[in-house]
Amino acid sequence: MQLALQILVNGLLLGGLYALLAVGLTLIFGVLRVVNFAHAEFMMLGMFGVYWVWHLTGLDPYLAVLVVTPLVLLFGIVCDRLIIQRTIGAPEVTVVFATLGLSIFLQNAALTLWTADIRSVTTAYSGMVLTPFGLRVSVPMLISFTVAMLAAAGLWLVLTRTLYGKAIQAVAQNREAAALMGIDVRRIYLWTFSVAVAAAGAMGGLIAPLFTVYPRVGISYIVTVFVIVVLGGLGSVPGAVLAALLIGLIEAAAGFLFGAAWAELSYFLIFLAVLIARPQGFFGRRGAEVFAGR
Amino acid sequence: MLEVQGVTVDFDGLRAVDAASFRVDEGCIVGLIGPNGAGKTTLFNTVTGMIRPSAGTVRFAGRDLARLDPADRSRLGIARTFQIVKPFGGLSVRDNVLVGALTRGQAVAEARRTAEATLERLTMTHLADALAASLPLALRKRLEVARALATGPRLLLLDEIMGGLNPTEVNETLTLIRALNAEGLTFLIIEHNMHAIMQIAETVLVLNQGRLIAEGEPAAITRDPQVIAVYLGEPLEPA
Amino acid sequence: MGNEPANELRVSLLVGLPLAAALVAVPTFVSDVFWLGLGITVLMWAALATAWNISGGLAGGLSLGHAAYFGVGAYTATLLFLRFGISPYFGLLAGAVLAGALGAAIGAITLRLRGPFFVLATLAFGIVVHIAAVNWRDLTRGAAGLLLPFGGGARNMLFAGVAPYWYLGLGLLALTLGVTLAIRRSPLGYYLVALREDEDAARALGVKVVRCKVAASAISAALTACAGAFYATYIQYIDPSSTTQFEISVQIALIAIVGGIGTTFGPALGALVVVPLGEILRASLGGGPALMLYGLMLIVIVLAAPNGVIGLLQRLLSMMRSGARRRATTRRSRGHA
Ligand SMILES: Nc1ncnc2c1ncn2[C@@H]1O[C@H](COP(=O)(O)OP(=O)(O)O)[C@@H](O)[C@H]1O
Ligand SMILES: [Mg+2]
Repeated sequence: MQLALQILVNGLLLGGLYALLAVGLTLIFGVLRVVNFAHAEFMMLGMFGVYWVWHLTGLDPYLAVLVVTPLVLLFGIVCDRLIIQRTIGAPEVTVVFATLGLSIFLQNAALTLWTADIRSVTTAYSGMVLTPFGLRVSVPMLISFTVAMLAAAGLWLVLTRTLYGKAIQAVAQNREAAALMGIDVRRIYLWTFSVAVAAAGAMGGLIAPLFTVYPRVGISYIVTVFVIVVLGGLGSVPGAVLAALLIGLIEAAAGFLFGAAWAELSYFLIFLAVLIARPQGFFGRRGAEVFAGR
Repeated sequence: MLEVQGVTVDFDGLRAVDAASFRVDEGCIVGLIGPNGAGKTTLFNTVTGMIRPSAGTVRFAGRDLARLDPADRSRLGIARTFQIVKPFGGLSVRDNVLVGALTRGQAVAEARRTAEATLERLTMTHLADALAASLPLALRKRLEVARALATGPRLLLLDEIMGGLNPTEVNETLTLIRALNAEGLTFLIIEHNMHAIMQIAETVLVLNQGRLIAEGEPAAITRDPQVIAVYLGEPLEPA
Repeated sequence: MGNEPANELRVSLLVGLPLAAALVAVPTFVSDVFWLGLGITVLMWAALATAWNISGGLAGGLSLGHAAYFGVGAYTATLLFLRFGISPYFGLLAGAVLAGALGAAIGAITLRLRGPFFVLATLAFGIVVHIAAVNWRDLTRGAAGLLLPFGGGARNMLFAGVAPYWYLGLGLLALTLGVTLAIRRSPLGYYLVALREDEDAARALGVKVVRCKVAASAISAALTACAGAFYATYIQYIDPSSTTQFEISVQIALIAIVGGIGTTFGPALGALVVVPLGEILRASLGGGPALMLYGLMLIVIVLAAPNGVIGLLQRLLSMMRSGARRRATTRRSRGHA
C-alpha cells in the first residue's frame, strides 16, 4: 500500500513536469498545425542556460529560470521568424522536416559548444526529502512540479480567459475565418510558438536541478511528449495535462514492476494503438488526424 | 438502375439528407436541383460510398452497395465529378485521365490510348501535357468529366459542372451529354443552371433541407408552387 | 515532380548504360580502400533512399521508421548465419520477406493516418523495434552487437576485400532503381501518385487504397531490408546503434529529401551529395559541427527547394534551354534584318 502510494506520488510528480513540455507542443500543433520536433531542444537550452547561470554566478537555479526563460522566448521568436513562418502553407515534407532539421542543428550546436559532458546542478537542498505519511518526496522535485503546474495553469488561463487567448483559439479552429475577422494570424503564430517554446525552456530550467544536463537530453523527452500529446489529443491543452500525469504514472509503475525498458516499450505500444484506433486522442477534436486531406 | 431507399445522413446533429428515396432508370437523364446546402452533394457521396448513410439503402443494377467501398462502386460502373474539383495537380492532364482508364483493368499502353480518345472527345487534346494544377477552373471541371468518363461508367454523376461556363460552353456540354446518353450512358446531374437542366433532364428531383420535395417532368417542376417557393423564386419561362 | 516515366526510361538508358559501365569499372581504377569504401557507403545510402522513396515519395507517406526494416534485414541475415550457418544470400531474402510482411502490416494499420500522425506512427514503430533490438539480448546480444566471422568466404557473402562489396552495392542500387522504374511504369505507380495527390478523387476513380498502400509499404520495406543484410555482411558487425537507431531513419529520409522525393533518381543523387559531404565535414570539422550543418542543410532544402537537388537541376536545365532558345531567336531576327 505504502509502495503503491509512493509510486503514485513519483508518477504524478514526473507527469507534472512533462505537462509543461506537452502543453507547448500541443499548442503549437493545434494553432500552427506544425509538429515541433525541436521542442525538447528548447528544453535542453533551458537546462543548459540554468546550468551556466548557476555555474558562473552561483545564482539559485530556480531564480536562474527567471533569467533564462525570457532568453529562450527571444530565441523562439528568432526561430519563428527564420523557419516556422516559412513552413505555413508549404508542402507537408517542409512542415515535418524543417523542425526536425532545427532539432538536429540545436542538438549538435550544443554538442559543439558545450561538449558531450554530463553536468549537474547541485544546491544545498538537492538531497532534501520530505516524509509526509512515511512517503519520500524530494524537495526540488516538489518545487519544480509546483512551478510547472502553476505555469501550465497560467497558460490555460491566458488561453481561455483573455481576448488574446480567444484569438488564438479562433485561429486554431479556422485560420481563414480568423483572418477574415481581422485577426493577425502571423502574430498569433509568432506568440504561440515563442511562448510555447519558452514554456519548454522553463521546464528545462526547472528540471536542471533534478536531472543531468547534456546535449542529447531532449531525445529521451521528445518522444515521451509526443506520446502524451497524441494521447491527450493533438491540440488539446487539458488533454495534454491529463495525459502527462497518466504517462508519468505509467512510467513510474511499469518501471518499478518490469524495469525501464519494458516501461518504454509498453507506452510506445500504447501510443501506436492509440494512433491507430483513435488518432484524435482522448480529448482531441475528431477529424484533426485527417486535416491534411481537406 | 440506381435505387435509393430512405437514405438519411447525419453530421453530428445536422440532418443533411432526410429519408430520400428515388430511382434513376437505365438510359435516363435525371436532374437533381435544390438550394445550396440542400444535401445534393451529400447524396452523391452516399451513392459513391464516400459517406455511409445512417439509414437507408443504395442499390445499383440490382445490387446492394452497402458493403462496397468507393473504388468497388467505381468498378461497378458508377463515376462522378467533384463540385470542389480534385485534380491530381502534380500530374499531367493525360495522366489524370489515364488513372481512370487503368482501373478498368487496361494495360498502361491501352489506357493511354483510352485517355487520348477521351481527351479528344472533350476537345482537350492540346492540353494533354499540361500540369493539371495549371488549368483554370472551367478546364479543371472538364478534366473531372474526362477522368470520370475514362473509367467507362454506366452511370455518371455530375456535380455542378456548368457553373461559370459561358452559353456556348454550356451548349457544348449539353451536346456531349446527349451524345453520351444516346450511347447508353445514364446520368444523374446536379445543376444550378436551370435553363440547362430543364432542357436536358427527363425527370427532375428537387431537394430542400435534405428532403425530396418534388419529382417530375421539368415542365411540371417549374410550375410546382412548393419548388417555386423554396428554390426558383419565380416561375421559369420554358427554355 | 517528374511524372513522365516513359521519358525517364529513355533518359535512364541513354545516361544510365554508359554510367553503369563506368561504375562497374571503378574498382579496376580505384584501389584505395578509403575511396572505394566511401563509394560503397554512397551506394548503400542511395539504395536506402531509393527504397524509402517508394513509400515516402511515390505514395507520400513520410516514414521516420525505416531503420526498423534496415535492422530486420541486418539481424535476420546475421542471425541465420550465426545460428544455423545459412548463407547471407538466403538470409537477405529471408530478411526481405520478413520486413516485407512487417511493412505490409504497418502499411495496413497506418492507412488512414495523414500528415504528422503518419510520421509519428512510423516513428513509434521504429522505436519499438529499436527497444526490442537493445533489450532482447538472448537474440541480439543487445548493445554488445553481433560479429560476423572474418573471411566467411564468397559463398557466405563475406569477402576479405572491399571490391566485391562495390559490385554488391551496385547490384543493390540497380535493384532498387529497377523496382522504382517498374512501379512507375505500372498501374501501381500511377495509383500511388494519384492517391498521394488526392485520395478521395483516386478512390472515386476506382483506385483500391488498401492494396496500393500496403504494396508500396511492403516493397519499400523489403528493399530496405536487403540493404540491411548488405550492410551487415560489409561491415561484418552490427549493433542497434548502427542499424535500428532513430538517426538512421532520419538519415534515410534526409537523403531522399535532399535529392528530391517522388522522382526516380533524386534520392540516389541525394546520397551522392549528402554522404561525401558528411564525410568531408566530419573529417575536417568533427562530428558535432558536421551534424549541425546537416540540420541546417535539411532546413534550407525543405524551405527553399522542397523538390531537392534534382528539382534545382531541372530548373537550371529549363533555364538554360529557354536561354538557348532566346539566343537562337535573336540570332535569327538579326539575320533577317
Ligand atoms: N463532411 C461534412 N461534415 C459536416 N457537415 C457537412 C459535411 N458535408 C456537408 N455537410 C453539411 O451538410 C449540408 C448539405 O451539404 P451539401 O450536400 O454539400 O449541399 P449541396 O450540395 O446541396 O449544396 C450542409 O449544411 C453542409 O454544411
Ligand atoms: Mg453541392
